[in-house]
Amino acid sequence: MEALLTRSRQLRRPASRVCRSCSRQLGAQARRTYASAASQPDIYDVVCVGGGPAGLSLLTALRSNPVTAGLRVALVEAQDLSNTRGWKLPPDRFSNRCSSLTPSSANFLNRIGAWDYLAKERVQPYHEMQVWDGVTDARIEFDWEAPGTGRTIAYMTENLNLTSGLLSRMDGVGGTDVFDKVKVENITLGEDKDDLDLTQWPVVHLSGGKQLAARLLVGADGANSPVRSFAEIESRGWDYERHGVVATLEMEDEGWGGHDMKIAYQRFLPTGPVAMLPMPGRYATMVWSTTPRNAALLKSLRAEDFLAMVNAAFRLRTVDLEFMHTMECGQSEELLWRLQHTHVNHQSVPQTVVGVQAGSVASFPLKMRHADTYIGERVALVGDAAHTTHPLAGQGLNAGQGDVESLAGAIEYSVLHGQDLGTRMSLESYNAERYAANHVMLGVVDKLHKLYSVGSGPLVPLRSLGLNAANAMRPLKNFLMGQAAGKGAKLF
Amino acid sequence: MVARPSAAVLLRQLRRQAPAVRRRTESFVGSRSFSTDSGSSPNSVNHQPSSDPNFTTVSPDEVSHFNALASSWWDPHGPSRILHLMNPLRHDFIRMCRNSNLDAAPPPATGLTYLDIGCGGGIFAESAARLPGTKSVIAIDPSPEVLNIARGHARRDPALRHKLQYLNTPIEQLTATISKQNPQQSQQPLRQPQYDVVSVFEVLEHVSNPAQFLDQCAPFVKPGGWLVMSTIARTWMSWFTTNLMAEDVLRIVPRGTHDWQKYVNEEELRGHFMAGRSGQWADPRCMGVIYVPGVGWREVQGSEKVGNYFFAVRKTEES
Repeated sequence: MEALLTRSRQLRRPASRVCRSCSRQLGAQARRTYASAASQPDIYDVVCVGGGPAGLSLLTALRSNPVTAGLRVALVEAQDLSNTRGWKLPPDRFSNRCSSLTPSSANFLNRIGAWDYLAKERVQPYHEMQVWDGVTDARIEFDWEAPGTGRTIAYMTENLNLTSGLLSRMDGVGGTDVFDKVKVENITLGEDKDDLDLTQWPVVHLSGGKQLAARLLVGADGANSPVRSFAEIESRGWDYERHGVVATLEMEDEGWGGHDMKIAYQRFLPTGPVAMLPMPGRYATMVWSTTPRNAALLKSLRAEDFLAMVNAAFRLRTVDLEFMHTMECGQSEELLWRLQHTHVNHQSVPQTVVGVQAGSVASFPLKMRHADTYIGERVALVGDAAHTTHPLAGQGLNAGQGDVESLAGAIEYSVLHGQDLGTRMSLESYNAERYAANHVMLGVVDKLHKLYSVGSGPLVPLRSLGLNAANAMRPLKNFLMGQAAGKGAKLF
Repeated sequence: MVARPSAAVLLRQLRRQAPAVRRRTESFVGSRSFSTDSGSSPNSVNHQPSSDPNFTTVSPDEVSHFNALASSWWDPHGPSRILHLMNPLRHDFIRMCRNSNLDAAPPPATGLTYLDIGCGGGIFAESAARLPGTKSVIAIDPSPEVLNIARGHARRDPALRHKLQYLNTPIEQLTATISKQNPQQSQQPLRQPQYDVVSVFEVLEHVSNPAQFLDQCAPFVKPGGWLVMSTIARTWMSWFTTNLMAEDVLRIVPRGTHDWQKYVNEEELRGHFMAGRSGQWADPRCMGVIYVPGVGWREVQGSEKVGNYFFAVRKTEES
């Protein structure tokens, strides 16, 4: 009890740290609400903070399931969602933030009725995956004829296509109270008055004075989750000292396999993996994990030199590439010269990149974080609020969808059995199911990153030992295949 | 090394229960003959106990035991955790019972009324009240401390406000208590309140005379409604798991919660309702459940013969 009291005291503090004019405003509000006696929080069954892919699919899942459709749910989002609702790009332009959706994520989105709302002409399934070691050139063959796997490995989609599709579906089902363009000013615990004791219910205070009391407060509010801080759940991990450079690229053609046989490529360089993932037509999206210095250089280059670096990343030896990172400009001439002295099997690397979409080159720091637990009393964390991973296996968003599916299942079970869906007891199964699965995923991805960031020394021949027989890389291969097909749990 | 203390505990257990053995044997003989006797003269047996206003099937020892447990009732990792874990199965069982009468039209899924007898801290009562199909739940318990906990806990959920009511009364005085709440009706003759589902979960093994107690519960079931109970079979296996292992060795359940001598076997319940009260009850249903540490409660066919089980009967429309 004492812990709870100190917690609520601590939580009130941030509000008092708000700048003077705001706090004056807050005071004025408090007086006003006191006068009008409107300070009673609005009571909800589920309040989800964060309108990204995880938050939107959770609310859509709850609203589209007849068992949970009776719940009173609210979405709190800082951004203006009308931008997402009205999101539209011409067919030859693609947003630079893309994700690979595994078949199991796609199935889930289909079950909650959201898949049909994605702009399908902007979703690109891929059917083959080429992965190789940048130092030794050892390659893994991915044969997708393995029993039980469909032909499609995963679907590439822009994150905005996904969120705008989810939002259309959520709006279509109706019943979600949306509070967007608002800040979460504070989260406190409720009060005990009259015939109601809300001292264990989180109350979300929104800018503008609205208060939402939550039977279950869901933190889908990203890596710096305020909900996680409220629940005093520690998130541990480390920064990789790497940045992910993303860009939307135009290729010379539709790819070696043509329209129906799209290929994803990933090369493990000592600085980090570089991946080229197919988008519709001649387009592709790139994620290049590299050192912050290299990332800064890549972002500063003229378009033709940037393209040369991307082409080099999939073709040149690592020493050549390293040298090109020291040049301030002129990479395109350098590449032409160096390619004359490098043997490249063109069919086994992505087609030549011929254009980069203006303004699409960007970078973000890469981290590994894992919350100590995903649940507290009346609190659940999903997606990036619970875990952040290196993008090398393309699992971040899919892990979030897995969380949502599991949490929606736990909520459905509670409703069917009359349990209070916000209590720790009701959330235990969600934590048990997802924590273990994500822990394995985060750990393997982390180890892979570390294993392949070594450029020389005894690890290098070891990791490629007998690699021409793809067998030695079987663990990596199995992991990437299993994760891509959404069967990560069966791995161990 | 484990065997030694267990054996000592076993001996202690037997010594502790020795006097009880005699007492309970009499009462079981009583309860069985009670069932058969009542066939010949049901009225005299059914109505005699309630005519004495002080009569109760509640045992004072049990009330004080549960009073002591009151504060930890809702601690999800406390001594009642195993009951919390069992609760969803109760709803699965009730749902199964209510949908099992294939001849009749499907029973209405909304507007249901529940009476939960021996509600304790309200684990089942709260959950029943939260179900969307529930109209109201009356939950009773003789222990005032436990009921205070239940009332305090129910205040934490606005969804329960108009659906759940706790009454500190033994079953024998329930009708009177309810009529006292409606003063305008108190002048009129007492009307028997009746419910779609009357539940008696984990109670039979704590009352002094199960047969009499069940006869007290029976009038509260609506014709066509269900009387649902759960208890533990009186077998060597249940003594080993619920007394020795659960209470003494693993300490999952607080010491002194169970008196093995008070356990009731499934065939005794079946006999009580189907033979002893024939014509009034139909469709006996049973589900045996087993608790596996680390996994939870699981339905195991046939396990009603050895351990925890649910049992239910439907009141016939004519009765």
